[in-house]
This record gives sequence, structure tokens and C-alpha cells, in this order.
Amino acid sequence: MITVEHLTKRYGSTLAVDDLNFTVEKGEILGFLGPNGAGKTTTMRMLTGYMPPSSGTAKIAGYDVLDDSLEVRRRIGYLPETPPLYREMTVEGFLHFVARIKGVSAGDRAKRVDWAIQRCGLTERRHQLIRKLSKGFRQRVGIAQAIVHDPPVIILDEPTVGLDPKQIIEVRHLIKSLAGDHTIILSTHILPEVSMTCNRVVIIHKGRVVATDTIDQLVNRSDNRTQYELKVAGEVQPLLAALSQWTGVKGVQTQSQGDSHVVTVSTEGNTDIGPELTALVVQSGLRLYEMNRRRATLEDVFLQLTTVEETVDADTDE
Amino acid sequence: MNVRTIWANFVAIYRKELQGYFATSLNYVIAGVYWFVAGVFYIILFNAVQANVAAQDLQGQAGLGAPPVDVPAVILENYLGVLGSLSLFVLPLLSMNLFAQERQQGTLELLATSPITTTMVAIGKLAGVLTFFITLLLPILFYESLTLLQSEPPFSFGLILLGHGALVLLAAAILSLGLFISATTESTLLAAVGTFGLILLLWILQAIADRTGGWLANILRHFSLLQNYTSLIQGSVSSTSIVVFLSYVVLGLFLTVQWVDGLRFQRA
Repeated sequence: MITVEHLTKRYGSTLAVDDLNFTVEKGEILGFLGPNGAGKTTTMRMLTGYMPPSSGTAKIAGYDVLDDSLEVRRRIGYLPETPPLYREMTVEGFLHFVARIKGVSAGDRAKRVDWAIQRCGLTERRHQLIRKLSKGFRQRVGIAQAIVHDPPVIILDEPTVGLDPKQIIEVRHLIKSLAGDHTIILSTHILPEVSMTCNRVVIIHKGRVVATDTIDQLVNRSDNRTQYELKVAGEVQPLLAALSQWTGVKGVQTQSQGDSHVVTVSTEGNTDIGPELTALVVQSGLRLYEMNRRRATLEDVFLQLTTVEETVDADTDE
Repeated sequence: MNVRTIWANFVAIYRKELQGYFATSLNYVIAGVYWFVAGVFYIILFNAVQANVAAQDLQGQAGLGAPPVDVPAVILENYLGVLGSLSLFVLPLLSMNLFAQERQQGTLELLATSPITTTMVAIGKLAGVLTFFITLLLPILFYESLTLLQSEPPFSFGLILLGHGALVLLAAAILSLGLFISATTESTLLAAVGTFGLILLLWILQAIADRTGGWLANILRHFSLLQNYTSLIQGSVSSTSIVVFLSYVVLGLFLTVQWVDGLRFQRA
């Protein structure tokens, strides 16, 4: 449904988006993940035809965003970073206007507007002026204008920004329920959002794709460390000495405060050393207060992918 | 794109613009001030011309043989001149929001990613603001008719309409240029000031021409808004003047579309 090939955007001498490649299948929800300033918005603007790419192509439903701009625009619903709203219009009036310029036929318009209003939970606000709405409701009107013409492709730039936790959950449900009939790309820098709504993730950093995969695969693909965090009290040296002998232990960190210590043990791979570790703690005569096992999460993957490069860059800068 | 979608797009933008004008309180203030000032000028002018005519009549009776004066025509012509100058101040205020506001509130992004061409957006906006200006003229037209049509022999309503047609033509030219200026900035204030400066320059091109002389003067005179407007309200319906005004309309629309489409390449 969406094909992006070698998409590049250059502002002067800075590369905002650098040789982006990915595809989105029909009915998929693709998460576009990256730290602020990674090039998410620029990419979305190129996909919607708002901005021409410097080089490379992007196709939506087989239409090139540059050459067949009008055909592309007919097929997309787009929520920009700041919802594009006319403050002096009512919610309903605004959605009617959008339906009209998106080419919804006069007969279907009222039905489509009702549908969007209902789906976005705006029924009670439909006659209110947009400038009188709270930020959360404005965001919903923004989503409503992106779906009012029932486009096959929906592009949402940070759809949950400015919403309260309850609204965020509602919006995520809404997005999920739209998938299937619609192909959706959403950008975010909030990790749980991706794991909760998306089938696949494209992680971009400094304008480049650093990973693209399903969430499970991404987590598995990371260096897969398991960490144990122990809170103990007593003489910690014997434990550390014993741990250094173990194979499979990749690193040990200790934070001490008087008699109590926090020991973090990292292991390589999936090796489960929990039972042995507890035995060793007891053997060393330590008092164990707490023990946690942490597995790699999407967050770790994300941090790993977006910070490793930073240090490399920093090195070359020097 | 077939004709029906083009028409539907035009109507969508046109309606939105008109609704916007009537929903903005500033426009009521502008309308109020315009009507008040125009009304005051009308009373002053009306009395002045009548006093003048009375004096001439007196001279006529004294056998000095002054030619008869068509009072309503004199009033209308002078008054349209006043309205023209007054509009120079009002029109930039009407056109300043056209694109600047869209840019500022981010709705240009909505328009630019909708299946609607920039040309249609520009034409719809111009038609909307021009319609608003025409509604501003309606009460004025009303009191003019009320007074001028009382004259003996009766003055033709057609002439009044024709004179205001010239004013609408002038407004269309100015608003079209204002549309373009408004597209070049996100600040409505800058748009208003810039438009005012530009049309003031075009208004007095004739005066500049008088100073320069030579072939340049002839060209400048042709493009002077005042020159063309004056010749139209004096009743010489010359096609040249109409063409000049329409050229300004087309030029404004063309520049607007070029600029707005070009914005896509500047965005950072």
C-alpha cells in the first residue's frame, strides 16, 4: 500500500531524512518511532505530498506522491503535528468543510461526518466552536478530520500528544479499530504506544532507519541480556569474588550505601542463573531483601539503537 | 479533475471564507467604521454640492449664463472618488487574513494535503472576500439611491450601479494583490501594512508619472489605479481600464498560486 524507496530530504546542507526504505502492507499499522528531531515529521510530510522529497520516491496505492499528488491526496487522511483547525468553526461545520474539500459526495457527507464525530467521541461537542475546546478535544477533532472521508491510508503524526491517560487509551483503541480496512502510519516517541497499537515498527534516528521489524522480533534481536538486581545487606566482597569466576556473567555493578548494597548482574543470552544466584547469596552470608529479573524491552532496543550511534558520532567528532 | 469537483471545491472554500468573515468580530468593527465614515462624507459632499449648485443658480439668474449642472451625477462621481480612497484603508484589512492566517494556524497543511488545487483555493478566497466587500456597499447603495433618485429629471439607477461596478472592479484588483501579500507572510499585521504600501504606490503611480515624464510616464499612467478608476467613474467606460483592473486580478491570483506552491520547497 505504501512503498518508500531511497527517500531523502535535504535542507541546505543538513540531511533531515537520509535514504529511507520501507513498505507498509494493506491493513497494517506501522509505528514510526524515533527521538524528537529524528525526521519523523519530515517523512510524513513527504508521504502526504506536503513537501517534495529531495530524491527518492514514495508511492501510496501505486501513485507517486510527487507526480500524482492529487490522486495521493484523495487517498490519505492526515493529522499533522499541530491539528489544522479553524478556530471560528463549530466541530460539525469544520468536519463538513473537510468532507467537502476531500471530495465526499453531498449525499454521503452528513453520514460520514456523523460517523467521524461518533468514532472520536465528539457527539456532545459537535455544536461547539473549536476555539472553545480543550487540547484533548482539539486533538480528537484533528483525528476526526483525518478519517472523515474514509481514506484507505491514514497518517497520524503523534496522535496522542496532549491527551490525558484515559483519552490516550481511547485513541489507541480507535486507531486499532480502524486497522484492517485502513492502512495506518503513526509516529510517536512514546514507546508503549508502539507496542500497544502497532504491528510493525520502523525506528529512525538522525534521518536513517536503524531498524524495521515486528516488535517481538526486535526485542529478540537485541543483544538479549538478562539483568538481575539484588538488594542485599552484609559483607559483599565474597559474593563479588565468586561471581567473577562464573562463566556467562557479563558484568557486575555494585552500588553501596553503608552496609546495604545494590548488585546488578548482567548475563549473556538467555541463561537463567536465578537459582544459582540465590544459593550463592545465601552461601556468602548476605541478607537478601529484594531480587528482580529484567529482560530486554523495546525500550532497551530503542535506547541501544539510538544511543550507540550517538557515541560513535561523538568519537568521530573529536 | 472534472468540472463538478472543481465547482464543489470552489463552493467549499467560498462558503468557508464567507462564514469566516461573518464569524469574525473584527470585521463588524471594520464594517461599522466604514459605514460611519462613508456616511459622514456623503452628508458633507451632498450639502457642499447643493450649496455650490445654489450659488451657480444664483449666477444663472443674474444672467451670467453658467451651464446647467447634473447634480446627482456630480455627487455620485465625487462620492465614488471618496469611497475609492476610503477603500484603500479598508481593503488591506479584509485581505490580510486570507493566507497569513492559514499559514499561522497550520491549516495550510490541511488544504495542501487535500485533493484541491491551490488555484481553486485562491479563487475561492478572492470571491469570498469580494462578496464581503460588496455586502459592505449595499447600505451605501441604498442611501445613495434614496437621495439621488429623487432628482428632477430622474437619475438612472443603472448609472449608480455602473459606478459601483467600477468600485468593485477596483476592489477586486486590490484584494487580489492583497491575497498575494498575505500569502508571503505569517503575520496578518505585516500583510495589512504591506498591502497598504503596495496599493498606495499603485494609486499614486500617476503622480510619479507626472514627475518622470517621457515614455516611462505613459506606461506608469496606464497602471495607475487612481487614473483608471477616475476614468471609469467619470463615465467613460473604457475597455482599457477594465482590462487593467482584470489584469491586476489575474496577476494577484497567479503570484499567489506560484508563491503558495513554492512554499512547499521552502519549508523547514
